[in-house]
Amino acid sequence: MNRRKFLESGLALTSLMFAPPLLRRGFAAEPVTFYGLKSMSGAFASYGEFAEKGSQLAIGDYKDLLGAKPRYVTIDTEGNPGRAVRKVQEAIQQSNARFFGGCTLSSTALAVGKEVNKAGGIFMTPAGADEITTTEFNPSTFRWTVPTYGAIHQTVRPLFESNPKAKRWYTITPQYVFGEALLAAAKGLFKQLGIEHVGNSYHSTQEQEYSGYLTNAMAAQPDVLLILGFGGNGANCLRQAANFGLKSKMTILLAWTQGLDWFQSLGPDLLEDVYIGAQYWHQVNTPLNNELVKRVREVYKISPNYPLAGDYIITKIILDAIAKAGTTDGRAVAKVMEGMSYEGPTGTETIRAEDHQVIKDYYLLRGKAKSAMKDPDDLATIISSGKSFPDPIKRS
Amino acid sequence: MAGPFVLPGGSNLAVAATLVLLPLILPSPTLATEILIFAMAALACNLLLGYGGLLSFGQGMFFGAGAYLAAIAMIHAKVGLLVALLTALCSGALIAALVGALAIRRTGIYFVMLTLAFNQTAYFIAYTLDGWTGGDNGLLDVPRPPLALFGHIFSDLGSPTAYYVFVAVVFLIIFMASGRIIASPFGSTLIAIRENEARADAVGYNTRHFKIVAFAISGAITSLSGALYAMLLNFAPLENIQMSESILIMTVIGGAGSLLGSLLGAGSWVIISDILADIWPRWQILMGGALILVVLFLRGGIWGGIESLLKRCLNKKER
Repeated sequence: MNRRKFLESGLALTSLMFAPPLLRRGFAAEPVTFYGLKSMSGAFASYGEFAEKGSQLAIGDYKDLLGAKPRYVTIDTEGNPGRAVRKVQEAIQQSNARFFGGCTLSSTALAVGKEVNKAGGIFMTPAGADEITTTEFNPSTFRWTVPTYGAIHQTVRPLFESNPKAKRWYTITPQYVFGEALLAAAKGLFKQLGIEHVGNSYHSTQEQEYSGYLTNAMAAQPDVLLILGFGGNGANCLRQAANFGLKSKMTILLAWTQGLDWFQSLGPDLLEDVYIGAQYWHQVNTPLNNELVKRVREVYKISPNYPLAGDYIITKIILDAIAKAGTTDGRAVAKVMEGMSYEGPTGTETIRAEDHQVIKDYYLLRGKAKSAMKDPDDLATIISSGKSFPDPIKRS
Repeated sequence: MAGPFVLPGGSNLAVAATLVLLPLILPSPTLATEILIFAMAALACNLLLGYGGLLSFGQGMFFGAGAYLAAIAMIHAKVGLLVALLTALCSGALIAALVGALAIRRTGIYFVMLTLAFNQTAYFIAYTLDGWTGGDNGLLDVPRPPLALFGHIFSDLGSPTAYYVFVAVVFLIIFMASGRIIASPFGSTLIAIRENEARADAVGYNTRHFKIVAFAISGAITSLSGALYAMLLNFAPLENIQMSESILIMTVIGGAGSLLGSLLGAGSWVIISDILADIWPRWQILMGGALILVVLFLRGGIWGGIESLLKRCLNKKER
């Protein structure tokens, strides 16, 4: 063997030694990337912070997805629909992004859903707009939240059935699409149950001063005051109703609330004996929720609230569906998600194939007295829970 | 005394070069398009603030109106791209002329408050007319029709790059036209009004008419940018009407009184906020700090700073 041959053989052998890792790297699975749409800054930053924790937890718990650990990218929606849509367009064009979850604002969720659908991806949201699964339905968008119809049916009906003598109801409604949807559902159910709707006051979403509406409500002498505003609207209305002494004069029900963080901001003195509707409550006794509460307390030292639980399960559903589909093809993943049943925070949840609406429980809670609380998060008792959904819109 | 710094080849050439470089430097043509659209809105604000001395909080109203009216024209009247943009341009001018005619009856803080009041009124009108505007959910499915003239399609504008090129051409035209307006006797009179309205009045100029025309031109350009924004997003959110503050910040950061500053202001605002948002969720604190620093120490904005730096360098060379 001459020197040249020796060197050539040596080089070939060395190449063979390095071949397996090189080949492995060459064929290594590209990690699946999940894009979390969170309002990390702007007016809804407090919501986004919890939602982000939920998605991070679900991603962190996923060790292997199609041969690699999934990646997570946060897109800050800034509470601004225009900026959010542009960032999603960029992610789709530049990074071939396909899997999205989140969105606090309904307007952002509706517009983002359209963009993701154009790209053939998957988008799941906990946003409130009923249009997501009705008039603006598209094959890529899925919704975890119970619609306004379910929120009204699972709060007004059990409260009325527990006290059928309370027949006179007054409503205070924020005047925008979501408030109108809640009011329409309430009016429909009032008619069905024989409840007398003794009046309604509309207010703008930027309203801070509710004394005029509360005076009108008092004048109508209702048995129940149904507050249809949520977030800051609902909180301010409830605070002023308590100041007016309405809590002792009538039953107060808030049909749609944000959950634990909202409860914490109001405190037990204000919430005691007030009835509240909720998408999620950390004390629900289901296998996944018990596990979720344990994990969240371990990792974040808090009890999970609605944004955290909502974005956790949304992220988990999409990752599970990708694993089951065995592909990152959006349409194939959507097929798996349609009709999928899984253990969710509220128990067994099912994604309705026709309109991509998750069929899950909605809760009626009652605020506890401070003396009855076992821990600082034990702010309410679950009175009832159940599933109420309108039939899906028929599509040709 | 040294005069204003003049760019070699003029500012038109500098802008044209920037328009070519922008999509190559930035991560995506979509981001570049958003910068140009906001720059157009800032430029329109600059015509009022920088050259006319009119601080208007009504720019969001024109931006939102342009987005809604162009979108409604395309969705309901099925008009094409150019007609939709023309609709936005003309309706923006008309609305601004009406608002201007009423608002400029007062000066100083009262004028500012009137523009703010008109903007709030516009917000609630759009919010209430949800059958047309989508209300709180925004107007969805805004089309982006192809660029066509007399049945001949030049481009379908479907790709982000094609749409960027179209917006860049529109921006260049608007930039050059604004430059011409500023250099014209109308522009000189507007500056004279900004410097000393009483004197301009005494010389014989009808300052009220000049201000209304400035308002109309600014409204037309802002509406045009709103229409282009709706086509970029395929969506017209209600929040567009609340853009006044952002447009003003971009104008001030870039440099009030400099058309080139508008491009710099919009570019730096969009890019820096994007970068900071990825690093720290409370990035708006830093942006607020940056605005305070510019107002306190860089009165001419970013362009003012660059200008004085270049002048200093040239003076050193001459010595």
